[in-house]
Amino acid sequence: MSNTFCVTISECKTNGDKATLGFVVANAALGSDKDTMVFLSADGVWAAVQGEVDKINEGEPFAPLKELVEKFTNNGGKILVCSPCMKKRGLTEDRLVTGAKPAGGAALVEWLANGSPCVGY
Amino acid sequence: MAGFPRHWDFDEVYDSFDRGCGDFIIDLKAVMADLAAGAVVMIASRDAGAPVEIPAWCRLTGHRLLDAQPPFFLVRKRDA
Repeated sequence: MSNTFCVTISECKTNGDKATLGFVVANAALGSDKDTMVFLSADGVWAAVQGEVDKINEGEPFAPLKELVEKFTNNGGKILVCSPCMKKRGLTEDRLVTGAKPAGGAALVEWLANGSPCVGY
Repeated sequence: MAGFPRHWDFDEVYDSFDRGCGDFIIDLKAVMADLAAGAVVMIASRDAGAPVEIPAWCRLTGHRLLDAQPPFFLVRKRDA
């Protein structure tokens, strides 16, 4: 059984439900002792942007997205943010939440090529 | 807390109320981290997915599900 896990999220403003679910599952993986990485691409990058992540709250039974993201990073979860997707939206690294960092596709490919299962939202 | 099997013996209680999935599991990890190896925790979870979720979490983590009478679950922390 792999000790790593990956969640890819490609929606946030366009579908807050998907971004929320992605981080809920990422927290389930982390809580199950999996070294977990969330890869944000396309519209999903907004989930790691200060001031934007605060705007997503799907309501009960889900915690606000900001709380889910903070719980993920505070417990050692990794967030990689598609750098060209950031550039397209005029985003710079200083706008990302603590624990998130820009990365390219090779970082995702490396994580998966090392045997990590992955689920996409 | 009412309703749990009276013959169960445990060291700690964790009540997740109706929270489920990752929101609950990530907090459960922290609860287990504070326990000594071999300690037993009685988990209460009223989420509809808990009867499937908690056994799966035990298989993933190596903690042992000693008994289950939803919404109550008796889990022993792994040795290492």
